Amino acid sequence: MRNLMRAAVAALSLTAASFTAAADLTDVNTIVEQANLAAYYKGNDGRSEARMVITDAQGRQQTRQFTILRHDEADGGDQNFLVAFSRPADVRNTVFMVAKHTQSDDDRWLYLPSLDLVKRISAGDKRTSFVGSHYFYEDVSGRNISEDEHRLLETTAEHYIVENTPKDPASVEFSRYKVWIDKNNMLPVKIEYTDDADKLYRRVEVLAVEDVQGHPTVTKSRVSDLISGGFTTMEFRFLKYDIGLDESVFTERSLRKLPRNWLRRPKS
Amino acid sequence: MNRKLLPSLLILGLSAPVLASDDWGDDSWGEEESASPQWHGFVETAVGGRVQDDPALPDEDLTLADLRAQLEYADYLGDSRYSIKADLYADGVEHGLHGELREALIDMSLSDNVDLRLGQQVLTWGTGDLLFINDMFPKDWVSYFAGRDDQYLKAPSASAKLSYYHDRANLDLVWTPVFTSDLFIDGERFSYFNAMAGQQTSMHLIPDQPDKGLDNGELALRLHGQTDGTEWALYGYRGYWKQPNAMSTGGQVYFSRLNTVGASVRGNFGGGIANAELGWYDGEDSDGSNPRLPNDQLRVLLGFERELIPKLTASAQYYLEWTQDHAALAANDGNSPYRPDEKRHLWTLRLTYRAMQDNLILSWFNYWSPSDQDMFMRPSMTYRVDDSTAVVVGANLFSGEQAHTFFGQFEDASSVYARVRYSF
Repeated sequence: MRNLMRAAVAALSLTAASFTAAADLTDVNTIVEQANLAAYYKGNDGRSEARMVITDAQGRQQTRQFTILRHDEADGGDQNFLVAFSRPADVRNTVFMVAKHTQSDDDRWLYLPSLDLVKRISAGDKRTSFVGSHYFYEDVSGRNISEDEHRLLETTAEHYIVENTPKDPASVEFSRYKVWIDKNNMLPVKIEYTDDADKLYRRVEVLAVEDVQGHPTVTKSRVSDLISGGFTTMEFRFLKYDIGLDESVFTERSLRKLPRNWLRRPKS
Repeated sequence: MNRKLLPSLLILGLSAPVLASDDWGDDSWGEEESASPQWHGFVETAVGGRVQDDPALPDEDLTLADLRAQLEYADYLGDSRYSIKADLYADGVEHGLHGELREALIDMSLSDNVDLRLGQQVLTWGTGDLLFINDMFPKDWVSYFAGRDDQYLKAPSASAKLSYYHDRANLDLVWTPVFTSDLFIDGERFSYFNAMAGQQTSMHLIPDQPDKGLDNGELALRLHGQTDGTEWALYGYRGYWKQPNAMSTGGQVYFSRLNTVGASVRGNFGGGIANAELGWYDGEDSDGSNPRLPNDQLRVLLGFERELIPKLTASAQYYLEWTQDHAALAANDGNSPYRPDEKRHLWTLRLTYRAMQDNLILSWFNYWSPSDQDMFMRPSMTYRVDDSTAVVVGANLFSGEQAHTFFGQFEDASSVYARVRYSF
C-alpha cells in the first residue's frame, strides 16, 4: 500500500514536472512573437484613455492626456492607431495617426488644428520622444520584431529573459536590449537598454497589470532615463477591446473631424 | 537683495507646481473631456522691433506689440459640433483694440460619408511647407512677417466645406461666397516696393474688391486619396489672385480673375517624406501682353524631409514660379527694370532641433532665391516652461541685392521679436 502511494505521488509529480517542462517555451522566436501579440494585439481593436506624467531630471512635472484607438488588420501584422490629445491646452485636439506596417515603413500623420494642417511625419524618427515624454513613438505602437535578432538568455521560474540586438545598428540608439517576459501572460514586464559603451541607460517597466475582458493588460508603466534621472509614468484607464472599429476610422477624415462615437468613453 | 538669491527665486517662480506623486492631484479621469462644454484659450504678450530703420516708415520702430487673449468654446448640439474661437488684442503698432473671429463653425454629418462644415474657419491643404501652390485659402502675411504665432499665417474665411468620403477617393468642395483676399503687405506696418514710383513706399494700399455677388465668390475643390501610404490629390480653384497685383488704366490696384488646377503626391521615400506639387495659374491676361495684369504661371514644388541625427530634422524644398509668355510681357512693359524673371527659383531649408525633452525647440527656416538674389531667414527658439507657459524668441530677417524683388523689398522690415503665452 505504501509503495502504491509512493508510486502514485511519484507519478503525479512526474506529470507535474513534465507539464511545467511542456509549458516552458524554448524557441526564442515563438516567445518573442507571443510577447508581441500579448503586448500590442489584444482583441481585434481597442480603445483606451491614457495619461502621462513626465518628470524631468530637476523634478519638474508635465502632463499629457489622450485617447487611443487601435485596430488590427491581422494579429502580428499591420495595425492602425489614432491618438487624440485632450491635455495640456497647447496640444488639445492635436491628433496623431499611424498606419503601422510590418513589411514596409509606417505611415504617420500629425494634425494641427489651429492651422487645419495635416502634417506627414517621417518614419525614420520612431525612436524620438513621444510628445515630450520619455516614451518613444515606437514604445507606443510597438517595435517591429523583425528588426532585431533575438536570443533566449535565461528561463527563470517567472520569466523568459530575451536579449535583442538590432539588425541595423545605425538605425537605433541602443546596442542591445534585454526583455523580461512574464511566463504566465507573456507580457514583457521589464526592458533594459544598453548603449554602445555597454552602459545601461534606459528602462521600461510595467507597474500594474489588470484583466480586461479576459486579456491581461498593462495599465501602468514607466520609462526611466537612467542617465538624466528623468522618467515618465503612463496610466491607461477605461480600456475596452473589440468595440467594432474598422479601417475607415483611420483616415484623414478623423484627423480633421474627431470620430466622437469611437472616442467617447464606453458606457460599460 | 542678495544677488545669488535672485536666479533661484526665478527658477522657483517658473517651475510648474510639483505634483505630489504619480497622481494628477485632481480627478480628471472622472470627468470626460468631451462630456461638458469646454472653455479654452490663452493670453499672450508679444513685442518685436526693427533691426534697422525703414526710411519709408520713419516713426515705426516697432513691428509687433500685441496684448492678446484668445477664447475658445466648443460643444455638441446633438451629433453636430460647434465651436467659436475669438481673439481680442490691443495692437501697439496699428494702434487700437482689434477683434478677430478665428472660428465660428458647425460640423455636421449629412450622411455616413458626407460631412458639412459651415462658418468662419481656417482651411489648409497641399503639401508645401510655408509655400503654397494649390492652397488658395487666405493668408495673413503681415502677421507672418511680424513674428506672430504660426497659426496666424492662416487667416479664416466664411466658407462652406462639403466633404464626400469613399474608399477610393474623397472629394472636398469649399465655397467662399464673398472673396477673401490675403492680408497682404499694405504699407501700414511694413513698407513695400512700388514699381510705378520706382521706390519703397508706405502709401496705404487699398485695392478695389470684387463686387459681391454669387458669381464672384471662390470655389475650391480637392479630389484626394491614398494608395499604399502615398497620398495623391488633384485640385481646382476658381476665384481671384489673393494679392492685388492687377492695375486698372487709372492706376487703381485690384484683384484680377484667377483659375488654378494642380496636383500633388506625398509619401515615404528614402527614410523620410518626399512631396511634389504643381499648379497651373490661369489669369485674365491669356497672351501675357498686358503688363497691368499678372501673366499665367506654372508653379512646381519638390520637397524632402528626414531626421539627420536623433532630435535633428532637416527639410529642403525647391520651388519654381515660371511666368508664361514672358517675351510678350517684356515687349509691352516699357522695358521695366523691375520685370520679374521668367523663372523664379526658390529654395527653402528647415532645421529643427529638439532638446530638453522637447521643451526647447530650436528652429531655422529660410527662403533663398538664386534668381531674385534675395533671402528670408526665420530663426526661432521656443521654450516650454511648463504645461501652460511658453516663451518664443525669434527673428524675421530679409536681405536682397535689389530693392524690388520678392523678399529684397522687405529688407527694412527685418525684425526680432519675443512672445510669452499662458494657455488654459
